[in-house]
Amino acid sequence: MSTKMLVIVYCVGLFLLLMELIRRDRLNFKYAGPWIICLLLGIFFGVFDQFLYRMSAWLGFGLTSNFIFFAVLGGFVFLSLLMTLFLCQQNKRNDRIAQQLGILEHELRELKKQNKSSSS
Amino acid sequence: MSGHIGKTSRTLIVVPAFNEEGNIRRTINELKGLGRSFDILVVDDGSTDRTAELVKGEDMDLVSLPFNLGIGGAVQAGFQYAARYGYDVVVQFDGDGQHDGRFLAALLNPIAQGDADLVVGSRFLEHLGYQSSFLRQIGIRFFSFLISFLIGLKVTDPTSGFRAYNKKCFSLFAENYPIDFPEPESIMIVHRYGLRVKEVPVKMRGRQQGRSSIRYLKTLYYMVKVSFAMCLDLMKQRGRIS
Repeated sequence: MSTKMLVIVYCVGLFLLLMELIRRDRLNFKYAGPWIICLLLGIFFGVFDQFLYRMSAWLGFGLTSNFIFFAVLGGFVFLSLLMTLFLCQQNKRNDRIAQQLGILEHELRELKKQNKSSSS
Repeated sequence: MSGHIGKTSRTLIVVPAFNEEGNIRRTINELKGLGRSFDILVVDDGSTDRTAELVKGEDMDLVSLPFNLGIGGAVQAGFQYAARYGYDVVVQFDGDGQHDGRFLAALLNPIAQGDADLVVGSRFLEHLGYQSSFLRQIGIRFFSFLISFLIGLKVTDPTSGFRAYNKKCFSLFAENYPIDFPEPESIMIVHRYGLRVKEVPVKMRGRQQGRSSIRYLKTLYYMVKVSFAMCLDLMKQRGRIS
């Protein structure tokens, strides 16, 4: 199997896995979006690899492999930043829910107390 | 009055507490002993000891957070409670027994007179009571210098958690308050929103029981995080309160 085929098969395989995870509601589209874009780019450059060589030369990379390493690492850094962003957002929401839950629990406790004393 | 829904007074004292079983009863008794011209709310910040249990035994208003959020998260829950029930003033009074309730009136005066939106109780204005450890004093002086350098505001005790907030101020913080180590950063936020900060001299005591949450490497993290957050705050847009 040529390297080109290996890249295409790997990207298509991951893409199908992502689709299946979305279909099973294990992953939602919002979080799968950046991965889908990366995999589509992988498939595109796997099929039309001449663009990869041209782009690599145009950006001044001596070896195309260096460009690929740079692009993959850059992509992962960006993806992990996105995930951190999502994580922070979730953290904030969790904190807010915890605060509201505490206040509501207090209200419920007091209502129960009032109910008890009014019924007795 | 405790054990009620809604307010019986215009002022709410918020007591954040995390694993303070050794101190909370004394703190509550001290506040109760001051008279009943205010409501008291203990915010149990996900304690793993008997803090919540002891507060329930005191027939006191208690908000129990399901997990530990940090001091900022606990105090913010108090702000949200105050905003929900329409209080006019919030006082933050730590559950570790370090704050002296006799200085509450001094803390509330500038708010009552409309001289300030946030009043910070400072142990360094008149050097009353416990002055903190040498290392902590260095940290406090550093933050004091940083605030003065960044926004030109003189605050001698920026890490003090003995504070009073008027409605404008706590409503702002109910929406947006730093979760961990919030005190110095909150002064920057108040200034950014054009609110007024004033310090009054207060007396503080050493911690009676238990240990501070800021120790060892956390001290270093605290210094770096807060300094960084304060510098970043300068880059944020000047806010307006509607």
